[in-house]
Amino acid sequence: MKRARFDHRLLPVMLLVPQLTIIAIFFYWPAWNAVHSSFYLQDPFGFGSQFVGMDNYTRLWTSSEYMRVARFTLVFTLLVTGLSLGLALLLAVKADKVIRGARTYRTLLMWVYAVAPPVAGLIGVALFDQNIGAITDLFAALGYDYRLGVSYSDTALAMVVVSVWIQTPVNFIFFLSGLQSIPKPVLEAARIDNPSGFRRFWEVTFPLLAPTAFFLLIINITYSLFDTFGIIDTLVKNNPASNPMTLVYKVFIDGFRGNDIGGSAAQSVVLMVLVLILTVFQFRLLERRIHYT
Amino acid sequence: MTATDTAPVSAVTPRRRRLKLETVLDHAVLICGALFMLTPIFLALTTASHDKVLIQREGLQWAFGSETLTNFNAAMFEPGGFTGDITGATMLMNSFILGVGFAVGKIILSMMAAYAIVYFRLRFATLAFWVIFTTLLLPLEVRIVPSYEVIQGMGLTNSYTGLIVPLLASATGTFFFRQFFMSVPEELVEAARIDGAGPFKFFVDILVPLSRTMIAAIFIIMFVYGWNQYLWPTLITTEESLFTLVRGIRQIVQAIAEGSEIPDYGRAMALALIAMIPPVAIVVTFQSWFVKGLTETDK
Amino acid sequence: MKSTTILSAGALVGLTLPAFAETEITWWHGMGGQLGEVVNQIASDFNASQDDYTITPVFKGTYEETLTATIAAFRAGEQPNIVQVFDAGAATVIAAPGAVLPVEDLLKANDVPFDIEDYISGVRYFYADSDGKMIGMPFNSSSPIMYYNTEALEEAGVTPPKTWEEFESVTAPALKEAGYIPMTQSHMPWIFTENFFSRHNLPFASDNNGFDSVNVTINMDAPEIKEHFASFKSWVDDGLFGFYGAAWDDNAKPFEQGDVAMWLGSSGSFGGLAQKADFDFSATYLPYWEKITTEPKQTFIGGAANFAMSGHSDEENKATAEFFRYLTSPEVQYMWHKETGYVPITTAAYELAKEDGHYDRFPAAEVGIQQLSLPAGENTRGYRMGFYVQIRDVMNREYTRLLTGETSVDDAFAAIKKEADALLARFAQTQS
Repeated sequence: MKRARFDHRLLPVMLLVPQLTIIAIFFYWPAWNAVHSSFYLQDPFGFGSQFVGMDNYTRLWTSSEYMRVARFTLVFTLLVTGLSLGLALLLAVKADKVIRGARTYRTLLMWVYAVAPPVAGLIGVALFDQNIGAITDLFAALGYDYRLGVSYSDTALAMVVVSVWIQTPVNFIFFLSGLQSIPKPVLEAARIDNPSGFRRFWEVTFPLLAPTAFFLLIINITYSLFDTFGIIDTLVKNNPASNPMTLVYKVFIDGFRGNDIGGSAAQSVVLMVLVLILTVFQFRLLERRIHYT
Repeated sequence: MTATDTAPVSAVTPRRRRLKLETVLDHAVLICGALFMLTPIFLALTTASHDKVLIQREGLQWAFGSETLTNFNAAMFEPGGFTGDITGATMLMNSFILGVGFAVGKIILSMMAAYAIVYFRLRFATLAFWVIFTTLLLPLEVRIVPSYEVIQGMGLTNSYTGLIVPLLASATGTFFFRQFFMSVPEELVEAARIDGAGPFKFFVDILVPLSRTMIAAIFIIMFVYGWNQYLWPTLITTEESLFTLVRGIRQIVQAIAEGSEIPDYGRAMALALIAMIPPVAIVVTFQSWFVKGLTETDK
Repeated sequence: MKSTTILSAGALVGLTLPAFAETEITWWHGMGGQLGEVVNQIASDFNASQDDYTITPVFKGTYEETLTATIAAFRAGEQPNIVQVFDAGAATVIAAPGAVLPVEDLLKANDVPFDIEDYISGVRYFYADSDGKMIGMPFNSSSPIMYYNTEALEEAGVTPPKTWEEFESVTAPALKEAGYIPMTQSHMPWIFTENFFSRHNLPFASDNNGFDSVNVTINMDAPEIKEHFASFKSWVDDGLFGFYGAAWDDNAKPFEQGDVAMWLGSSGSFGGLAQKADFDFSATYLPYWEKITTEPKQTFIGGAANFAMSGHSDEENKATAEFFRYLTSPEVQYMWHKETGYVPITTAAYELAKEDGHYDRFPAAEVGIQQLSLPAGENTRGYRMGFYVQIRDVMNREYTRLLTGETSVDDAFAAIKKEADALLARFAQTQS
């Protein structure tokens, strides 16, 4: 990073203090709490706790259920991130290209972003309902017996579709603004050099979108991992049973719902470490390939 | 996508027509996308116009019914709760305060932090960035009980401050502005330094105007995030005058899980649609603003 | 005493003094929708009925959210006076020494008459400790019963089955023949497991169903329950039983729509069902296996109870006790029963409902109470197990896998037994 910078000692520190203070109090303190709790077994009301060493962790490695949840989380994250980014990029490219109705499309495509997760879940549940869901009826017409909440893969499908539905608009907004900030002369020049629209997109336009795409990739991975739990909770009707679930939902189920503080703390720590590794890896791999300015 | 269905209609056409075909395809993709996005919302709207018994028996409705006014009126103005204080209007107000307060707080904090990290020779800049960035690793839902203890210790339960501040402990804003600041041409800083502009002047006169579009985008994201919060407000507020819309919706539809009575679906859908209006308005307003801003910069 | 003298003094001075401050208490609950409105009604009526105390009910989300909010608040010293805790979460609260005031002690200390014999027998001991002392005051109480579509049964020429043998050999085949799915049920852990043990008077767990010790193990290896689920599985495979997953309403809806002829649900579902179904229905007791017992016993309650939290002043505790007195009065109980379908918890309220002719108008509304009042056995008072929310999750998971053919009866029950015992051992460790 060889950038032009200001020389000041106190000012940058003062600029950072408010953000760091809030983070220290509302992130590092609770996170430390989780790390600490993960080595204990605690009565939820806080009357007693007992040091159990690595017990809370070893029971995770030895649980085939936990591993199953971890595998689903991986697949789910890949699918939701890939599909919502891909769909958003496709729509943004098209919306950037068309002349007539561009504004209308933009406005329409952004609407869903405003839907609150419980509402999205509610609409999803109604659409995929086993008995009266419109999508279930559609599947039945195609000769498939779709069963939300009974079949593992059917429930997974609903989770992916609703999550992609909710996440696409925000990606769309970013891709579109990214596309529109690409200077027109660059594109004109590229048009002369390379008449194939498809190749031109990947060789000229996409690299210019890379900073946006990288930002969105990280945001979407965290979204798929963390922010989908409201949708999952509504779709499984607060009843995990044999349904697929993500690691965060499992933390929620065991900790918030089941009051197993030590067990869920260990899961949170595992999750933190996983995401940290993933993020460092992304930064190393991707950021050096992106050219800012 | 179904866009391919329209392709064979004029597969072999002269060059001028082909251009049109491409445009038709573009529109087809966009229309499909818009349908995928909007059909569920349309269904929420049509369903909000029906009686709850019908919705219970037959599910979402494709046609408009006769209960629109009743449901929307109930959602907006019928007092609910124990004190009778909570109507849709008061919940709307609370959600609005939460959304705007959170978005503004977030933008100020994270712009300051990102500015410090990107534009200053700071020995621990990278460390500071990572310290902030790691907050992406653990969502509030997972650290909710210790956060509650802190807020309670400060005596901030049942206050807007208590609602908003803990949500600010996250990295998205800072990360976002860092990404943007790094893509701002370096020559600008050089030029500013040659002109003798200090860091404050540079920030206010150059960086903030340049970031207008990004501020708009992040305002949208953060507003919606704050607007849609459920778990945290439920945990730390007990006064009905502080209830938010999302909580109101949950209170109505929760009966689904218990299965003992028909939830007031029409009213819930109406409330859900009302809950969508402010974020949509903000998205639409800011959208044209930031698109304009972007084309004007023309960098 | 003190407050009343001050109050009467204030009354003597007349209107010149500002109103004397009433003792204020809070009540956190998890009742959404219509139920929440009835809760608000009860609270308003209590506040209007006297001048010394004010209660404020607060909706805190689902049962689980309510409990977790309470725990967080308790750790921070901000707990409400009263909290509604659901059946599966009761062990967490009761096991915590000093988190709650046993309701029996609270009432007696505040001169509110209390006799556990006043309560309906299936309700009495569910939230009690090992010595039979009532800890939580049962609030929304219900029991699993069997609803049936009268027209469907007439059409098939059968009567509601008393035993599972009858269901298997007579009722279900006839209903299937008539074009119906014979039966669904809405809650496998509650109806087909917990109350299965109670109905057949079998021990559900060691140490007196967990009441006597936290070092408890679950009897999920009992041959009776395994056989029951083997039959359940074969019925589902043969089209004699519908299965729509673990969610409550997915299994209830086909019955409401008239596709399913009989449904095992909650006695509290009565009111909602009257709104939802457009056919005549009635209800009767849960069937039992004649091969296991010829003397079926009572079931116990599900739902939730109100617990008085510790750490409040004597005045506030007095207010809580007074509220409980009001809440358990026959009139309020009858109103609650009528409005919501939950059973009245005292015999006096039951008598009042009978006198008022409630059951002449709605015979099905009485089934739950009658079933709760059947003869008791040594294994019918309920269960007390920690981390029970997770244990129920394990049951639902394995049961669903069993019914969708992903696992066998033996493997499913071995997995439940193993995981549940491990959870119970962990819970015992948190208590040591």
